[in-house]
Amino acid sequence: MTRVFQKTARIVFFLSAAASAMAAALVFGFLLVFGFPLIGGGEFFSLLTRPWSPGQGLYGFLPMITGTAAISFLSIVFALPLSLGTVCFMGGLGPARISRLVDGFVRFMTGIPTVIYGFLGIFLLVPVVRTLFTSAGSGMCILSASLMLSLLVSPTMIIFFKDGFDSVDVRYIQAADALGADSVQRLIYVILPEAWPGIVTGIIMGLGRAMGDTLIALMIAGNAVHVPGSILDSARTLTSHIALVSASDYDSLAFKSIFACGLTLYVLNAFAVIAVRRLGGKRGPV
Amino acid sequence: MDKPVKIRVENLTFSYHQTPVFENVNLAFEAHAITAITGPSGRGKSTFLTVLNRLWESQPFAEMQGKVWILLDGQWVDIYGKTLSKPDLRRKVGMVFQTPNPLPMSIWKNMAFPLKLTGISDKSLIEEKISAALRQAFLWDEVKDRLHDSAFGLSGGQQQRLCIARALVSQPEILLLDEPTSSLDAGAASVIEDLLVRLKERCTLIVVSHYLDQVSRIADTALKLQARGFLQT
Repeated sequence: MTRVFQKTARIVFFLSAAASAMAAALVFGFLLVFGFPLIGGGEFFSLLTRPWSPGQGLYGFLPMITGTAAISFLSIVFALPLSLGTVCFMGGLGPARISRLVDGFVRFMTGIPTVIYGFLGIFLLVPVVRTLFTSAGSGMCILSASLMLSLLVSPTMIIFFKDGFDSVDVRYIQAADALGADSVQRLIYVILPEAWPGIVTGIIMGLGRAMGDTLIALMIAGNAVHVPGSILDSARTLTSHIALVSASDYDSLAFKSIFACGLTLYVLNAFAVIAVRRLGGKRGPV
Repeated sequence: MDKPVKIRVENLTFSYHQTPVFENVNLAFEAHAITAITGPSGRGKSTFLTVLNRLWESQPFAEMQGKVWILLDGQWVDIYGKTLSKPDLRRKVGMVFQTPNPLPMSIWKNMAFPLKLTGISDKSLIEEKISAALRQAFLWDEVKDRLHDSAFGLSGGQQQRLCIARALVSQPEILLLDEPTSSLDAGAASVIEDLLVRLKERCTLIVVSHYLDQVSRIADTALKLQARGFLQT
């Protein structure tokens, strides 16, 4: 009986694992097939390096690639210290009672719809950026979008970081405590190096969320289709580009180009994941 | 008692989840002696050790009343008072746990860890202190050629002696040992017993032990933990 059960369980779990792997492969295949008219014609690579100007028959998305790269990278730059600081606070630097409150708040934040962040961005952040930096124009720029985005991805990163912190063997913590480590030393010498794999995973998940998010950039990055020259420039991400273009005519060439755009996003995301894994290594320094 | 006293516990009451573990305990521990604490499991023997280095404080729902005095440099110090910081206390009162707990690093880095915490950076001093402590723990000959290998490559008994050596690096005056041989075979355990007897010269030792034969072999005094209090035997 138990053997049958085990066998069935194994098959069921294998099927669900296979299904999710298949889903990822199918999405890739779908993008490949629909983007084929462009890819097959050898135009794909020229799309990556050309500007977007449908009026002149140019459907390149170099501006969107740089926009996505700039906004998502910058949002991680802002989110990383914020998330790591929060987790360190919860992981022993702060009082237990407040830490539990913070933990609950962070979990609550993951459930806030992105449109709320976008909304807050428009009404609170964008005016501030506009007032502080005169060269930011309307205030809808890379800086505004990545600041808001950092707030969106932080809870995700914090949850993964915290999992990493919680997975540290309690015996190591006890050993460090008994040897006279204060809470900061315990964090730096024992917890952070041991939690490193969780930190790397958290960065990957945060980066994935930042790259994949559409609404925040769409609402507050300004959506200009040029390669941004500074973080105060308006920019358009690949995701907001897809959202904007898919609202247009189905038969247009512009519409066909967004499959290639999706494919680029897919590949870019995969590269980012590989890069973080490579840079992160298996374990931390020390 | 002929020997001078090193630790005095006064009116100690300890409760966990509002259930008392000990009530109104008064005890004195002799200097340069091995005091064994025995008694049935789950009565708080390990908890009692953590009262002496304040390690229990990281546990939620635990509460303590009373005073613990330790004689340091000729002066009685209230370890829960403001004069002594927790890290300083734990360097003076070392602890060795039931299962060896080397950190996930090399033997050398494990030994250097307490020194790193105090900010000692003089390399020759570090080397000197590490080799002295490893010798005191009867481990030097076994590890001197593999100091940069992972500490997890050592046998259980060697790991436990490494943990003792690591505690000795800070030159503690008191060493707390929580059933230090219970995870080891008889051979490894007897090496540690010999070691503990030798360490009396340097430290005051308090050993929690299940084994009555071990207690009779090494202990100068034995305390049996009864419900909510101690009884000297």
